[in-house]
Amino acid sequence: MTIDSIQDQVFSHPKSETDLENEIAELERKLATAKAKLSPHNPLRCRQPPKDASPEQPLSTPNLSHHYHLLLSDSALPLGSFAFSSGLESYLAHGHKSDPYHPHTSFAAFLPLSISSYASTTLPFVLSAHRDPSLSNLVSLDDTQDASIICTVGRRASIAQGRALLGIWERSFSLTFPSSPRQPAAVGDLKEFARLVKRSSSKEIPDASAHLAPLFGAVCSVVGLTLQQTAYMFLFGHVKALVSAAVRAGMFGPYQAQKVLAGATVQELITEMIKREWDTVVENAGQNVPVMDLWFGRHEVLYSRIFNS
Amino acid sequence: MISPFPKSSSVPGEGHLIAKLLPQGTSGLETFKYQYPLKLITPLRPSETESTLVYLLSYGGGLVAGDHVNLKVDVRSQAKLSMVTRGHTKVFTTTSPEIVTRQEMRVSIASEGALCLLPDPVQPFAGSVYEQKQVFRMEEDASLCLLDWVTQGRIARGENWSFVRWIGRNEIWTAPPDEGDGEAKLEKDRLLVRDTVKLDSDKPHPELPLLRDSMHGAAVMGTLLLKGPLMKSLGEFFLAEFATLPRIGARDFRSEAAKQAAEMAKMSPREKWRAERLVMERENKLLWTAAKVRGCVVVKFGARSVEAGRLWVGSMLQEEGSISSHFGDHALICVQ
Repeated sequence: MTIDSIQDQVFSHPKSETDLENEIAELERKLATAKAKLSPHNPLRCRQPPKDASPEQPLSTPNLSHHYHLLLSDSALPLGSFAFSSGLESYLAHGHKSDPYHPHTSFAAFLPLSISSYASTTLPFVLSAHRDPSLSNLVSLDDTQDASIICTVGRRASIAQGRALLGIWERSFSLTFPSSPRQPAAVGDLKEFARLVKRSSSKEIPDASAHLAPLFGAVCSVVGLTLQQTAYMFLFGHVKALVSAAVRAGMFGPYQAQKVLAGATVQELITEMIKREWDTVVENAGQNVPVMDLWFGRHEVLYSRIFNS
Repeated sequence: MISPFPKSSSVPGEGHLIAKLLPQGTSGLETFKYQYPLKLITPLRPSETESTLVYLLSYGGGLVAGDHVNLKVDVRSQAKLSMVTRGHTKVFTTTSPEIVTRQEMRVSIASEGALCLLPDPVQPFAGSVYEQKQVFRMEEDASLCLLDWVTQGRIARGENWSFVRWIGRNEIWTAPPDEGDGEAKLEKDRLLVRDTVKLDSDKPHPELPLLRDSMHGAAVMGTLLLKGPLMKSLGEFFLAEFATLPRIGARDFRSEAAKQAAEMAKMSPREKWRAERLVMERENKLLWTAAKVRGCVVVKFGARSVEAGRLWVGSMLQEEGSISSHFGDHALICVQ
């Protein structure tokens, strides 16, 4: 029913005020039902940003989530991602001219495999932590991921970056973060999580290790980023680290690097991977490129290494 | 008329095995039940007594679309059980991707009990859909050796990772000892390792390679999981051998004569075995890695042919010797 037809009805058949009120209530109920259908689990929901009333106007108040979006996606965020090549260095070392199955190595071949594998093993942990950043869920996700990373090199990379993010949150962000009435519990939960990580670091199987994925999801949720933004930023951060590793490994130069990052292929791959994993529960996360596990693990037996993974 | 036979409450594909320590000190079976399409066999007069041997079979040597196998295994305190197969577990083609063939195994191993599961690989045919889940709950001091491997399919028919989907999941949980009589446990079970491999022919983006190309020439992919006191030395062996692998990208600057001279020098039998194994690994493009994960050792490997993978696993397990001495040579029949 369009607005015009409602107006027509209203004007052509004058109704009592009660009738009108009933009609408004009914329309409001329909609107609420339609809105509810856009559930938080619907990947399409976050695609369209809410329309600003007047996009031409300057912001009247600071936009907190926008600010944190830029902050967390900045390459200068000291997570130490530059130290890891996510298997790229090992992949290059394993290629050999005499090998008919792996004759030449190329970044163009490695990149889609790496995004797909990273999304398949790791993205469900980010999504789950964002949907429920409570302490109990964070601890459980962290422990589950610790059990699921079956490779020393991958575990080291995940924990190093997770601890760095926790450090940034503890020492920098949390001190300046306005006490938002929306998430006060979550802020306290992150604090308690940091305490748990410190307390259990000496145990053989620590209660909490601070893996990157769940922590990233929880922090993004607390600062008000949407699930879609968080997932995209997480996978794009992985691509940025890979591209930067490729530049330092001498595969291509900085202009090519920006071309890859800006390209439609990366955008589409990230979008498709988010769609694929949107409803994957962490119990079903897993490796879909098994040879990636081999390259990752065998990074330890490379003769020379620039990266930690 | 009342039937003189015990009422059957079994569901197709279900099975239950209980291994226990017999009074004479060897392991035996207390319960031994199975339903079509699952079939279990145990030798009547076993030639070896280190562990009880059970063959895990299916009628016709494979699972047809929609078959569900659900096996429960309990290994009681101090009992030792070995499980093997006879030939690849074939997974036949499905008529529709919604029809999934499933195998599920739930295993509990009591304190000082041990399970050795070294089967043949799973061979999924073109167009098959398969999901496998193996969950191990282990009390303290329980031991486990588990091999899980999957092949590219039937090469004679040109199959090369041509199935629709293959998902394999292995989980090891700690299980605090049951205080008995349905009382709530004091501690919760904790997940130690979860190893999930998801191979899917679905290609959500044109830039993604086909499944067979993403396997980079491997004909078989496998995982070996080791845990517990009986597997301690085997786990350390894998970690040590991994650490001594020649560095990738290192170059040998010695002359041919110097190399031969070095070979002539006296090598210990272990060094000789290692040198031969390394040649085999190079020739078969066998890539492997070993890692310690939360008290378990996880070994992953891939090889250019199924036989190369089998030879390699067999060679590693035999050289170290723990499996034969704790479970008997019959535990190794699928990797010889």
